[in-house]
Amino acid sequence: MLTIDRVSRSFGGVYANRDVTLTVAEGEVRGIIGPNGAGKSTLFNLVAGHIRAESGTISLAGRRIDRLPAHARARQGVGIVFQGARVFPGMSLLANVMVGAHAHTRAGVVAAALRPPSQRREERAIRAQAEDCLSRVGLLDWASRPAEGLPLGQQRRLQVARALAGLPRVLLLDEPASGLRAAERQELAELIGELRRDGTTILLVEHDVGLVTSLAERITVLDLGRVIADGTPSEVTSDPAVIKAYLGTGASHAADR
Amino acid sequence: MDRVNPRNVLVVVAAVAGCVAPFVMGDLTFLMRMLLAAIVVTGLSLLMGYAGQASLGQGAFVAVGAVTVAVGTTRWGLPPLLVLVAAPIVAGAFAALVGVPLLRLRGHYLAFGTLALLLMVQTAMSTLDFLGGAFGISGIPAFGVGGSVFTDQRPYVLLALGLLALVLFVTHRIVDSRFGRGIRALAGSETAAESAGVPVMRGKLVIFALSAMYAGLAGGLSAFFTPYVSPDSFPALESFTYVIMAVVGGLGTLWGGVVGAVLVSTLLQVLNLVSSQPQLPPTLGPILQYATYGGLLVVALLFMPGGIVPTVQSAAARAVSRRGGAGRT
Ligand SMILES: Nc1ncnc2c1ncn2[C@@H]1O[C@H](COP(=O)(O)OP(=O)(O)O)[C@@H](O)[C@H]1O
Ligand SMILES: [Mg+2]
Repeated sequence: MLTIDRVSRSFGGVYANRDVTLTVAEGEVRGIIGPNGAGKSTLFNLVAGHIRAESGTISLAGRRIDRLPAHARARQGVGIVFQGARVFPGMSLLANVMVGAHAHTRAGVVAAALRPPSQRREERAIRAQAEDCLSRVGLLDWASRPAEGLPLGQQRRLQVARALAGLPRVLLLDEPASGLRAAERQELAELIGELRRDGTTILLVEHDVGLVTSLAERITVLDLGRVIADGTPSEVTSDPAVIKAYLGTGASHAADR
Repeated sequence: MDRVNPRNVLVVVAAVAGCVAPFVMGDLTFLMRMLLAAIVVTGLSLLMGYAGQASLGQGAFVAVGAVTVAVGTTRWGLPPLLVLVAAPIVAGAFAALVGVPLLRLRGHYLAFGTLALLLMVQTAMSTLDFLGGAFGISGIPAFGVGGSVFTDQRPYVLLALGLLALVLFVTHRIVDSRFGRGIRALAGSETAAESAGVPVMRGKLVIFALSAMYAGLAGGLSAFFTPYVSPDSFPALESFTYVIMAVVGGLGTLWGGVVGAVLVSTLLQVLNLVSSQPQLPPTLGPILQYATYGGLLVVALLFMPGGIVPTVQSAAARAVSRRGGAGRT
């Protein structure tokens, strides 16, 4: 479904991603782990189109997407939940999720002013779909609340709902559980498990190794911008290079929480 | 949705007042200028409040609309209705063109960039003889459609009122749409909006052009009303006033532009009357005007950071919920 082939990107002469190659099959949940600064968010930004690769190619369902602007990649089926909370302030939860449907809808400014039947139909469909996405993440009861006052755990789930409204072919989740309390973390894990059962293709960046190994079929490990390991959770967690670069400190770090 | 609520009553009262005023007031210049400002500020409030893009030079597009009418009627002898329709289109096209480089600027830089645009438009008007040169263009014919010609102020005011209603209607529909949600979203986070599928740059351009169309429409109508267009007709201070009206009324609200325009215009008019008393020094007028701008901004930002309309709305909502007993806070 998603093919990342020898992608590189540097900032000020230092590679944040170097020759990263990664193939994710349809319906797969792929975990991506690595220490802070390893280049995980950079990789997501390269796929989503917020930064451009210096070399390498990225394809989705056989189609090159690496030259497209970010909004066009959303139309091609790239959905992303950012590391920080990026909800749209001043808008209700429902409106936030309705924005997510931009990726597969059409009506422009002229249709907005004239409101022909096609626009009204599309508007109804967007609303119904957004309500459906809100209910999938358990936020439908809060639909008319403003998005900005929401607790962190719900902001994350709101972002997941917004991404789902774009009907993504691949969903990028960047540390969705960071900063959450244990109960919220559990809810989020259940939500991702449900998405997996629905057949959603997911790339999951997460520091909580236990969470990743329970959800992902395969795990890719990044360190200093390079892929240092790739395999099943048990293969990866027993790899000496991985233990040296990440798990040695990461595991104790995760156990602290 | 169609039940009577206090806001609808207010809207009806405002509409009736607007329609009656032209028949009871003597000189309608003040009312006309207020309505034209309301059209401009509605667009500015859309641009600043919903899309989060500043403009200190909205007068540039007012000027383009006015020049379109002045040149179209006096130089080319085009029919008034045609040039009045052309005024917002030319202003919008101009904005779409200059917006490509300008909208790459953000925040204060964009504000200064739009101000520079206004100064450039003024310079072009005063140096190019075709656009009137230093003396401007006079002799713009009265507006009229077919055989009927506007012979006094009243029909202009009624036309402005109708166009303001149209502008509000269009704005309301645009805000509450797929396109409008995209615009509000990009004001919050351009990155997240892009990834939701919102073409951010195009959205900003369209909303910039739309606000310029409103300004150009007001400018075109003012050219017929005055009926004279010169580089001095669009001072930078007037563009600042639009911003103050938008902020005082409440950015990102449908009625904020109208409320701000009515309030600030009225206040300035009263000050004007007071300071033009013969026994007072002639410098008092400008001093009072500037003091008012400063005072208004400080008061608005301190006590009503969202502007008048949102403050009144939430107060009304609180009152209604208290009265209804359904205590939702
Ligand atoms: N926009 C940017 N400008 C400069 N340096 C950046 C930028 N984005 C990331 N980096 C650098 O690239 C490296 C990888 O960062 P990032 O992808 O955020 O890591 P991770 O998400 O794995 O913690 C870091 O050294 C970071 O400082
Ligand atoms: Mg990161």
